Amino acid sequence: MSTVVIVKGKNIISPGDEINGKTLSRMYTQGFFALTGQKNLEDCFRSFLLMKDKIGIKINTIGGKSISTRPDVALCLANFLAENQERNGEVIIWDRTNRELREAGYDLNWNKGGIRIFGTDTQGVGHNRNLHSHLNIGSLFSSIQSDLVSTSISLAILKDHGLAGVTAGMKNYFGSVHNPNKYHDTNCDPYVAEVFDTTPIKQKHRLTILDGLVIQYHRGPSYHSRWAEKHGVLIFSFDPVAADTIGWQIIEKLRSNKGLPSLKEENREPKYLKTAERMGLGSANFDNISIKEVEV
Amino acid sequence: MNRRKFLKTAGAAGTLTFSGMTSMLTEMHAFSQVSNLSKIEARFYKKHPDREIECTLCPRFCKLGDKERGYCGVRENIGGIYYTLVYGKACSRHIDPIEKKPLFHFLPSSNALSLATAGCNVNCKFCQNWEISQVRPEQIRHFDFPPESVVHMAETNNCPVIAYTYSEPVIFYEYMFDTSIMARKKNIKNAVITGGHINPEPLKELTKVVDAIKVDLKAFSQKFYTQYVRGELQPVLDAIKIIAESDAWLEIVYLVIPTLNDSPADIRKLSRWLLNEVGPDVPIHFSRFHPMYLMKNLPPTPVSTLVEAYNTAKEEGLRYVYIGNVPGHKAENTYCPECRNTIIERVQYYIRKIEIREGKCQFCGNPIPGVWA
Repeated sequence: MSTVVIVKGKNIISPGDEINGKTLSRMYTQGFFALTGQKNLEDCFRSFLLMKDKIGIKINTIGGKSISTRPDVALCLANFLAENQERNGEVIIWDRTNRELREAGYDLNWNKGGIRIFGTDTQGVGHNRNLHSHLNIGSLFSSIQSDLVSTSISLAILKDHGLAGVTAGMKNYFGSVHNPNKYHDTNCDPYVAEVFDTTPIKQKHRLTILDGLVIQYHRGPSYHSRWAEKHGVLIFSFDPVAADTIGWQIIEKLRSNKGLPSLKEENREPKYLKTAERMGLGSANFDNISIKEVEV
Repeated sequence: MNRRKFLKTAGAAGTLTFSGMTSMLTEMHAFSQVSNLSKIEARFYKKHPDREIECTLCPRFCKLGDKERGYCGVRENIGGIYYTLVYGKACSRHIDPIEKKPLFHFLPSSNALSLATAGCNVNCKFCQNWEISQVRPEQIRHFDFPPESVVHMAETNNCPVIAYTYSEPVIFYEYMFDTSIMARKKNIKNAVITGGHINPEPLKELTKVVDAIKVDLKAFSQKFYTQYVRGELQPVLDAIKIIAESDAWLEIVYLVIPTLNDSPADIRKLSRWLLNEVGPDVPIHFSRFHPMYLMKNLPPTPVSTLVEAYNTAKEEGLRYVYIGNVPGHKAENTYCPECRNTIIERVQYYIRKIEIREGKCQFCGNPIPGVWA
C-alpha cells in the first residue's frame, strides 16, 4: 500500500499572492511527519536519506513566475534538508536553464556557499556525455542529475498538460534530459514512465512533493489565470506513481467543479501512470493508495 | 574571408559533425547560448486562442502553449507567436563533394557548401548525426552564419551549390528559404538533403527556390516509421510525388538496415511504387548501414543485401540504381540504360570520368536525366 499525504495550508497564499512562510514551514513538517510516521524532522529525513547524500531538488520552472515551483516552496524544503545533512549546503535546487530559474523568481547561486541554485546550462555543467538507451528512451542526462547529486527529490508543480494530461512529479524529470521534445507523442506515454525508469532517475529518486499551492487545471502547461486555482496544498509520497495519480484526481475534481470535461473525455488522461504501474514504478490503483489528509 | 581562412573555420566546425564525433560530445557541455538564438517569426503556423499555436510546417502539427517548443526543439511559442530559434545559427559547415550528399545526377564533381543547424523533426534510431540533429540549439556550439554570409562564402570558395544537410533542413526552413533566394541571384544552386517529413504547402513553396532535393526514404512500411523513425511514411511519399512534379531534381536514398527494412518484398514494393508514381528515371541509392546512435546492436549491411536490393530495383524497371557507402563498388557508376556504357565513373565521392555531353550519353546520344550544367 502506498501512502500519499495531502497537506492543506489554510490561507497559505495571501490575497496579494504572498506565501505565508510559517504556514508553509508547518505544512512541510506535518507532511513529513504524516508520511514517515516520525515525530521529529531529523528522524523523518534519516528514514529515507543518508547524512552524506548530496540532494538534488528538481523543480519545474518552465511556466514562468505564475505557474512554476515557487522559490518559497523550494527554499523552505532545501533549508530543512540542509540543516539535517552532514555537510550543510549539499543541496542543489535545479532545473533546465538559468533563464527559466530566473524568470520563475530564483536567485542563482553557483558557488556562494549554502544552497546552490543553478540550471543545467550553467557553464561547465551541461549534460553527461553517456547516451542512455533504455526502452524507447535515448537521452543525455543533466550532469546535475547524473553526476552532482546522489539523491533526488522531484518538487514539481502540479498542472494540466495539453498532451500528457497531467504534468507532475514524474514528468518533471523530462527536464533532466537533453531532448524532452522527443517524448510528447501519444500523450507522453510510455515516455514519462520510461524516462523515470532510467538509471539516473530511478536509482536516485527518493521522494515526490507536488506544489499544488496554485493549480493550473485547464489549458496547461502554460499559465492562464482564469483556469488557475489557489488550492493551497502540498502532496507528499515516496511512491512517484501514486503521488501523480492523486495529483491527477485533484485536477479532475477541479475540472469537474468548474464544469469542464474530464481529461478522459478530452482523450488525454495521463495513460503513462498505468504504464508506470505496469513497469513496477508504483501504484496507479486507488485500492493500493492510502491517502492521509492534514490541514495546518 | 579568403579560402584559406574559410577552410580553417570550416575545419573547426568540422569537429562538430562527421570527422570528430567524440569532439562533438565534448562540445555539448553547457554552452549557455540561449540569448544568442534567433527570434524570427515562423512562416507556417496557425494562431489559436489563449496564446496557443499549431505548427503547420511538418506532419506532426505540434500544438503548443506559451513557452513550449515543437518536437524539432528549434521552434518556440513565445507569447502566442511562433519563432524559429535557428535562423542564421549554423552549427556545422563544410565544403563537400556533391556526391557525398549523395546527388549523382546533379552537377557532378561540384563543391557544395554544406550547412546545418541543430534539430530534427523525427528521431531515427540509426541517425548518423544525432549529436546535432537530436539536440536543442543552445545545447551545441553554433555560430552566426546569416544567408548573405552563406552565399558570399559559397561564391568566394568555388561552390556552385549550397547544400542544406546533416540534420534536417525542414526545421530551419526560413533560413534555407531566404538563403536559397539570395543564392539564386548569384547563380548558385540549392540542394536540400531531407527526410521529406514536410507538409505539401511549405514543400511546394520550397521547390520554387531550390534546384535539387534528395529524400531519405527510411523504409517502405509505416511500422518501421513508427518504431524506428517516429514519423509517418505517407507524408514522405506525398512529398516525393510533389518534388517529382516540380522543377527540382529528385534523388532517393534508402538506407538498408539488416533485418529491419531489407526484405526483398519491401524493396520490390518500393521500386514499383517509384516506377508508377515518379517514373523510371529517378535515381535511387541503396546505402549501407553502419551501427550508430541507438542502433548499435546490428551489423553493417552485407554487400550481398545491397546487391539484392539493386537487382530488385533494376528488375522492376528503375534505370538509375546505385549502391552507397561501399567505396569502389561498380554500382557507384552511372551506366547508360541504352548502350550500357559507363558514363560516369565514381570512386566513393570522386569522379574519375564523365562521358556525358549536353545531357546525353557520349557513346549513343541517349538523354540522361539530371542537371549537368
